[in-house]
Amino acid sequence: MSKRWKRMLFFLSVMGPGIITANIDNDAAGITTYSVAGARFGYSLLWTLIPTTVALVVVQEMVARMGVVTGKGLSDLIRENYGVRATFYMMLGLFVANFGTTVAEFAGLAASMEIFGMSKYIVVPTGAAAIWLLVTKGSYVTVERVLLFACLLYFGYIVSGFMSGPDWSEVAKGTLVPSMSKDPEYLLLSIAIIGTTITPWMQFYLQSSIAEKGLRKSQYKIARLDVITGCFLTDIIAFFIIVACAATLFPRGIRINEASEAAVALAPLAGKYAALMFGLALANASLLGAIIVPLATAYYICEAMGWERGVNKSFNQAPEFMWIYTFMIVAGSVIILVPGAPLVMLMLMSSVINGLLLPFVLVYALSLVNNQKIMGEYTNPRAYNIISWATVTAIIVLTAGIIVTTLLPALQAR
Amino acid sequence: MPLFGELFISEILGKPILDPAGDELGTIKDVVLVKGEPLPKLDALIISRRKDSFRIPWESMNLFNKRIISTTQDLKNAAPYDMDGEEDLLALRDILDKQIVDANGAKVVRVNDIKLEGYRTDAVLTAVDVGMRGILRRMGLERKGESLLKFFRVKLPSHLISWNYMQPIQPKLSTIGLTVSRQMVEELHPADLADLLSQVSPVEGLEFIQNLDPETAAEAISELEIDTQATIIKDMSAEAAAGIIEEMSPDAAADLINELPSDLASELLKQIEDEDAEDIQELLGHESDTAGGLMTTEYISYPPGMTVAEAMLRFKKDAPEIESVYYVYIIDEEERLVGVLSLKDMLLSESATTLGSIMETNIKSVRPEADEMEVAAVISKYDLFALPVVDCDTCLIGIITVDDILDLLLPKQARKKRRSV
Repeated sequence: MSKRWKRMLFFLSVMGPGIITANIDNDAAGITTYSVAGARFGYSLLWTLIPTTVALVVVQEMVARMGVVTGKGLSDLIRENYGVRATFYMMLGLFVANFGTTVAEFAGLAASMEIFGMSKYIVVPTGAAAIWLLVTKGSYVTVERVLLFACLLYFGYIVSGFMSGPDWSEVAKGTLVPSMSKDPEYLLLSIAIIGTTITPWMQFYLQSSIAEKGLRKSQYKIARLDVITGCFLTDIIAFFIIVACAATLFPRGIRINEASEAAVALAPLAGKYAALMFGLALANASLLGAIIVPLATAYYICEAMGWERGVNKSFNQAPEFMWIYTFMIVAGSVIILVPGAPLVMLMLMSSVINGLLLPFVLVYALSLVNNQKIMGEYTNPRAYNIISWATVTAIIVLTAGIIVTTLLPALQAR
Repeated sequence: MPLFGELFISEILGKPILDPAGDELGTIKDVVLVKGEPLPKLDALIISRRKDSFRIPWESMNLFNKRIISTTQDLKNAAPYDMDGEEDLLALRDILDKQIVDANGAKVVRVNDIKLEGYRTDAVLTAVDVGMRGILRRMGLERKGESLLKFFRVKLPSHLISWNYMQPIQPKLSTIGLTVSRQMVEELHPADLADLLSQVSPVEGLEFIQNLDPETAAEAISELEIDTQATIIKDMSAEAAAGIIEEMSPDAAADLINELPSDLASELLKQIEDEDAEDIQELLGHESDTAGGLMTTEYISYPPGMTVAEAMLRFKKDAPEIESVYYVYIIDEEERLVGVLSLKDMLLSESATTLGSIMETNIKSVRPEADEMEVAAVISKYDLFALPVVDCDTCLIGIITVDDILDLLLPKQARKKRRSV
């Protein structure tokens, strides 16, 4: 049973792991970043999606290759090759960062359902209880169908993008001609787009789901195609979110801080249905994230630490697993409801920790993928290694930028 | 030099090792373990000095405890060691942090630390630490963790598993003879084995299966989901695969073969003993969700004229080969099913009576093309343990046992089949 559930987590039988990963990558935080970017700077940030896609493909291809060749997850490999200490701190960091992500998902759910006039005091507790029950008590088939359906709803963004009636020649210019601005907010948002697309937990998720599928080396080409398609899909969705906000909110100077505000602001400009579509897709992305992130986190941590795991186990059989999973959902949803809870602070901390973790995850991944004992003939070719080190270095420098820009205002405020 | 008391590998890794003059020879990098009686023992230390590695044999140890480790050897005559080339079993490289099967608890755990104890003049490996204490010790936080928990009045639990109960997954570890644990693993229930298999990577799972004897492997594989069974078999040599399929019950084997690509299937059928292959081929003709697809061709059938005494003698010869026996079927010369007799009724009858006189003639049976739900309904309605399948001349061609249909009768959540290796 436990394995079935683990597979549910990666619901792979119909879609490939790469495409699924792509969908979950555009979670509440991602959608917020794209909406804000579109509303604030119009089409001019669209070009950043191209280097982002390249970096995403380079990183995820390596991670997927490791999954196929070793049949093990990334947390497994890190534990087996770098020992307890590195693994423990990495898992601790992942736990805190992912807790922040879970809170962001519940916040996204609350905000998007408020558009439909539902109080967060009803939506969040019911949502959390439903997720917990669905995963621990529900039948595998039901959940798989729910999740597959949820993946389809992402197309809502593409529809909203078209309905917002963008000027396509401007869109093409913004995408293909890189522009630069000295505006610190512009720089921050362009970095944030990369930061929200390439996250540490995504790499763990992708490799585990590929390993879980039990793909053989001979099937590696299919896996690569799947991953690359997924990377493009992620950024196509991101593209349309930016377009939708850029076409409607930007010319009228409407500034937003949250994705749900975008949905509300869209209604008078692009029509009620575009707004509904946008709001529904946001609720859906948040819910999908809230289902996957806690479950995935509990799995990696327990796998790395060698603790008993599985959602069908009781608190006695798998205490660490059940406590981590339950804590993330319960605490993650309670924080949303407490008035005056330091939500912003928590999100900041989560993005800083993610930024701190990412270099380690990427460097570990790169040295693992080049370890002949593990990868055999599937290590990086020399030329590819130059590209991947360059990409990883660039990502690290940019995420360092995120940390500095996130922390600086907080420090200056003191 | 013997080891007094006990110590953990993590307490000596990275520690300096002193030469007779008291100078630092290098730091301990790894530990070579070899097979010993009754437990694996420490054979040598691998030390690193700048970028080179050397092997310091256990015999040359002067002091060996968690504070001071010294050797009678000096650097001049230390043997260089190639970390990549040697086939030794190394504690850090090959055991620490790896997954291992705890045969006692029937679960997969990770090795956090290794415990050594003095035994005569050797240091032997007695247990592995799979608990929180081991993790904290590796991180150098054991004392702190202990005092923190003391504050909450909780004791930091030790979770040690005796080496006797461990079963390595990778064959590399099996260079240490593990007769005890191997036996323990084979005594596990096949369902538990399948559960273990589902927690390790496909490569490890395959190696694990190949290390089992074919009979145990066949039972464990039968517990997995059908597509997972096929994946495992595809990765095996045809010979090994055929050996395992032979040991499976014919209905399970037929289901599995049905799932394989046709060229592999026919190759395997050629390798399988003729008698078993015939049984399987017969079952392959039926759709998997009909009575014919569910049935097995292994059953006990005797003529009505046989006496109970004769039948009991024959039964002792025939039954061991068969997966499960609940009834004796009575068939005439044309193999037509004329009666059925429960084992209880047979055992309780006078030995001189004939089977024909005590058999039940009101027989419930199904045809091979009957739908699986119909089979489930009949079994459930008449409280049967097994249901005979007959062809158009009422000739007995197979039986369906209740365990083959149980999954249909249970609610979905209670089904037990596992996916993946």
